[in-house]
Amino acid sequence: MKSKLFAAVGAAALIVGLMAAPSFAQQKTSGFKLMMTPKWTGFPYFELTGEGAKAAAKELGDTLVYAGADHADVSLQVETLQNFVTQKPDGIILAAIDLNAVAPVLKDARKKGIVVGTYDADAAVPARDLFVNQLSYDQAARVMLDAALIDAPEGGEIAFIAASPTSPNHVAHMKIMTALTQSEDKYKVFKVVDTQYAGDDDAKSYDVAVNLMQAHPNLKVIISSSAVSAPAAARAIEATGHVGKVWATGFALPSAIKRYLENGSEKAFAFWDPYELGYVAAYAVHMKLAHKFEPTEGAVLDVPKAGKFTTFKDGEVVYGKPLIFTKDTVGKYNF
Amino acid sequence: MASQAKRQWPYWEIALVVAIFGAGAWSSTLSPYYLSIDQLFGSTRAFIIPGLLALGLAIVVSLGEIDISLASIVAVGTVALAKFSAAGAPLALAAPVVVLIGALCGTLNGLLVAKWRLPSLAVTLGAMGAYRGLAFIVGSEVGYTDFGDSYSWLGSEYLLGGVVPASLVLFAIAAIAVWFLMHRTVYGRRCFSIGLNRDAAWFAGVDVVSQKVIAYALAGAFAGLAAIVWIGQYGSARGDNADGSILFVVTAVVLGGVDINGGRGTISGVVLALFLLGTIRNGMGLANIGGPTQTVVLGGLLVAGVLRPVAVSAAARLTHPAKLKAAGAQGDDIGGQ
Repeated sequence: MKSKLFAAVGAAALIVGLMAAPSFAQQKTSGFKLMMTPKWTGFPYFELTGEGAKAAAKELGDTLVYAGADHADVSLQVETLQNFVTQKPDGIILAAIDLNAVAPVLKDARKKGIVVGTYDADAAVPARDLFVNQLSYDQAARVMLDAALIDAPEGGEIAFIAASPTSPNHVAHMKIMTALTQSEDKYKVFKVVDTQYAGDDDAKSYDVAVNLMQAHPNLKVIISSSAVSAPAAARAIEATGHVGKVWATGFALPSAIKRYLENGSEKAFAFWDPYELGYVAAYAVHMKLAHKFEPTEGAVLDVPKAGKFTTFKDGEVVYGKPLIFTKDTVGKYNF
Repeated sequence: MASQAKRQWPYWEIALVVAIFGAGAWSSTLSPYYLSIDQLFGSTRAFIIPGLLALGLAIVVSLGEIDISLASIVAVGTVALAKFSAAGAPLALAAPVVVLIGALCGTLNGLLVAKWRLPSLAVTLGAMGAYRGLAFIVGSEVGYTDFGDSYSWLGSEYLLGGVVPASLVLFAIAAIAVWFLMHRTVYGRRCFSIGLNRDAAWFAGVDVVSQKVIAYALAGAFAGLAAIVWIGQYGSARGDNADGSILFVVTAVVLGGVDINGGRGTISGVVLALFLLGTIRNGMGLANIGGPTQTVVLGGLLVAGVLRPVAVSAAARLTHPAKLKAAGAQGDDIGGQ
């Protein structure tokens, strides 16, 4: 431990020597160096969050680097974060693959004075300063059930497809949805009959959806929090001739489900604006760096272009603007 | 012939060393943060876990077999460590048991491959799914993170003034041990002989079955060791630990010059290939080069590794047609460095 301390002091002295004044200039309000990594790059959803964050950084006079591996692999994400820390940024923004595995490197970053903000998927609370949550778990559960009500107003049997039993938000959504179908009159028309896991994999989701329809002849709605599984379920319904009998809904990018909504085989899906989510995440980290926003319970983050967002316990800033896409509205969105 | 083969220059290893320095020089132009002692040593941590797997896999591949279930065995090891930690067991007890569990998983693979002579790719593909499923069942729905300091020491501590990661020292010891085993013991010589010609080795009195089972057990034990490093490095035990890392491991072994059909290869080549891949990924990572580009570069290197034996023999045929005929099928780097 002692030797580590000496090394840290030595490293700090070196940094001071190399960087001289700039990093210690008091009350810096812009020109921050931000670095952002999503769960994986190349997926339209995450690319849009990156573009939103870049737009925010540009308006605020910061620079933002967006990088990461091309598939969701936690060791690669930790490596990316390690590389970020080496480059001495002011702030790091990420969507965590495994909330705990990223914790050691993020704690190290925070020790070096880097502000860490998560979005989309949180890291362990002590490892980050704030979390911009797209929707609270309760909101997400309600908006998916509302979409299911558009599909099947008369109600009936519903089944879930989640990524895996270790995916925290999917599991929480399913628990709340199940509770709502038992407690709230509006949702009591639904009865949960099955839960399956498809690992955010397109082909597996398709097979799982086909199996669900075979196993439950009276199935009405398949609901998934996964933007991969929900469109795959819609495809399975169309391919197996269940159009009009079974509906798919949940979270999906408009581009992925546009044709099903337009040809009438599906009625409603839900999501949020990923571009604006990324914008707000970068904005929040910037404001924290500029000492204009402290993510304490009750604090309000004012983002002129997007709205005012309240902070809840443990630095959770809820973005909370769900969107429901139907045949009439899906054409308005370009992601 | 054998003595002549021994004195031959290790061309591939020299090429790898040159490539490592080239990649390092290139990396230092890509990013101003690359050239620092802390950074260079620290970045090696990302390659210790695949490195340990590659050492084990190299033994298996020298026999002409493969084991793609190693990453799943790592997950079995991490969730087992979680159980030990939750039960309050000391690391001194947990560590050997986890290495043993890894060895047992490997032994099972080895028995299926060697005793019942099933194709190793099919066996370990099945084992990959089975061990992964086992890890999910044991690890339950939520991950475990409540590890004590002793559990995380190996994967998180830095030695020698806080610069050299403890896991790098472990890897160095493991690499030297495997090098000794493969190039300085009868066991290693027999592995290569089985890889070159299984039947000839059998007629010469080599116990092919136990050779293979031991190789798989060793590879599994290294996966168990990697699980201990994983806990220190990431502090998270879940069923999906190390999922998807096997491709990098295979790349390192093949690029290191181990013939995928068995019989040829050196451990020093595998270690150098790991350093080359590590240097390239570190440099590109610090330059924030996108994931798809990195995958293309690594994939290209894998192809280069596979093509190498073909290119070498083609070049040899062009330059020394007569000499090659005399050398026959004798391996160029058996028993090399």
